[in-house]
Amino acid sequence: MTTQTQVDRATSPPTAGAASRHRPGDVALQWGTGAMAAVTAALVFLIAIFLAVYAFPAIRFNGLDFLTTLTWNMGNQYGGGPVARNGIAGMPGASFGVVVFLYGTLMSSFVAMLVATPVALLAAVAMVFRVPASLKTPVNTLVELMAGVPSVVFGLWGIVVLVPWIGNALGPWLSAHLGWVPFLGGSIGTGNGLLASGVVLAIMILPIMAATMRDVMSAVPSSIYEASIALGGTSWQAVTQAVLPAARAGIFGAAMLALGRALGETMAVLMVSGAAMNQLPQNIYQPINTMAAVIVSQLDSALTDSTLLAVRSLAEIALVLFAITLVVNVGARLILRLAGNLERSA
Amino acid sequence: MKQKFVALVLGCAMVASVATAATAETVKMLETGSSLLYPLMNLWVADYTKDNPGVQITTQSTGSGTGISEAISGVAQIGASDAYMSDSQLKAAPSPMLNIPTAISAQQVNYNLPGLNDVHLKLSGPVLAGIYSGSIRYWDDKSIVALNKAYASKLPHKGIIPIHRSDGSGDTFIFTQYLTFSTPSWKNGPAYGTSISWPAVPTAVGANGNPGMVQACKAAPYSIAYIGVSFLNETDKAGLGYAMLENRAGNFVLPTAENVSAAAAALVSKTPADERISLIFAPGAKSYPIINYEYAIVREQQPNAETAAALKKFLSWGISSDGGNAMKYLDKVHFKPLPESVVKLSIKQIDKIH
Repeated sequence: MTTQTQVDRATSPPTAGAASRHRPGDVALQWGTGAMAAVTAALVFLIAIFLAVYAFPAIRFNGLDFLTTLTWNMGNQYGGGPVARNGIAGMPGASFGVVVFLYGTLMSSFVAMLVATPVALLAAVAMVFRVPASLKTPVNTLVELMAGVPSVVFGLWGIVVLVPWIGNALGPWLSAHLGWVPFLGGSIGTGNGLLASGVVLAIMILPIMAATMRDVMSAVPSSIYEASIALGGTSWQAVTQAVLPAARAGIFGAAMLALGRALGETMAVLMVSGAAMNQLPQNIYQPINTMAAVIVSQLDSALTDSTLLAVRSLAEIALVLFAITLVVNVGARLILRLAGNLERSA
Repeated sequence: MKQKFVALVLGCAMVASVATAATAETVKMLETGSSLLYPLMNLWVADYTKDNPGVQITTQSTGSGTGISEAISGVAQIGASDAYMSDSQLKAAPSPMLNIPTAISAQQVNYNLPGLNDVHLKLSGPVLAGIYSGSIRYWDDKSIVALNKAYASKLPHKGIIPIHRSDGSGDTFIFTQYLTFSTPSWKNGPAYGTSISWPAVPTAVGANGNPGMVQACKAAPYSIAYIGVSFLNETDKAGLGYAMLENRAGNFVLPTAENVSAAAAALVSKTPADERISLIFAPGAKSYPIINYEYAIVREQQPNAETAAALKKFLSWGISSDGGNAMKYLDKVHFKPLPESVVKLSIKQIDKIH
């Protein structure tokens, strides 16, 4: 009868003595790859530390007003010298607040999720259960290709096609027929605004959401679908009442992942948002501004602030954005991993 | 094998020597900033580099704010700006800066009013301040009608869409100076600057650069925008109207050559040695209220002697009446040449570049 140690010795790699375990190549590889992995992980912490340190003077200057005030005011550059507040120098009248941008980021992502989630879900269902096997690869590839299109392309399409359409056609129609619904009535403006930003964002996050949901649904054992069909259900009933509940956690994780992407999207939103300042939109057609877009659009102006407090306040916005996207992305991946574990143990 | 290696090394050495020889001859300069000055800069650079092949000048339209900050940091050799630097900007700059006027420009207020775009409406500083602060919301507001009684029936009850610059802009600087000098409530509120905190108006829109302003105004009926005079041809082509603005004497004037010259004549003699002066809201019956010097913001100290020499030569050509200040260039952008006294001051500043 073989003992455990005999089995171990038979299955473990042959050891030719102590010398082989300390071969310089092996050691170098171990340390080298370990260092690279550590650097990649450390980057996240290093960026967080850089943001916190660079934005610290602005955090002290703005205090808690940063989270409550609507105005973004660099102060009067031409009105005399810098004045001090909380020990930090800023131009007279300087007052920085993130509320407009936080609202714009959260609302445009919300609109994007509202538009994209049903479409992505149904697209994923179609890709897994309806697309014939011969077409599966091209369709999957097309969806993944769409995820690779740069955001500026969608931004350009937004400026040329979407914004005029919203301003001249969709906006007036919605306002006339559905104006009683909150947020859908009122003045339209140019079409640059919350709705345009939400739609462009929805197109950006659609491929990644659809692809991840497709993967999650493919991972559900086919026995669940087949059992439902065998019990006499239609394919729609099988999907909605058997497969989707089983994949619930994974679908939610995919949506969270897409939300993380939408929160940080910069260029496309910058081009169609209308660059609102100091005000919140009263309906979905009015201009907004997001945290990522305002950092881009205001950076050159901020550099003309002789105290550079404006630049540090932009870094404070970046810190808030970083924290939010980190929380959402980490949460999404945890949920997806949890969903994967649940599947494996079922 | 060895022969191939020697040949490869020799080949690389030849290419490198040719490359360095080429760069040793051409001086590369970057001009960035004001979208108001950009059309003129392009006309200048095209002709200047034809006669001076040893210089390569890249032009960019990025807004006066960027022009100022990139000139301060040294990224750009010439920062084009409609706005002069502030005292605190000069004090905070790491090395001494020069604000050198190169021409006199102006700005018009355009609007897109279906049916009234071929008419020059009369607008004043306080009315514009009211529009941009949200206290005047409709085109048939009594203050607008009071100035334009002849068109009282044609002014529609439609919401005004005020368009402003979202980038750091010299056009914003001169427009808000006009509002500040003419309207006390604006002076105590947003005041002036290349970037100001625009009052919250629900339909207000931000656009990027003068071309962006033209585009936004054209696309939005009932909008109003402040646009540099070098884009007057574009706005005419786009079918936008422009206003008669109320000057300090209380008269309503258009940005014609005569009215811009009148304003310049009133204030140019007051130009100080560092040439930082506002020409806005000049006194005089015919003076157009929004005119300004177009500044080249440069560092006194350049990275090397070749760049300094090339920069001095280009700027001197730009301000001379046989060079950049010739009417064949300025007429295309509706600018006016620098008066003799100012050219002398600019030459003194250019001499400081080393």
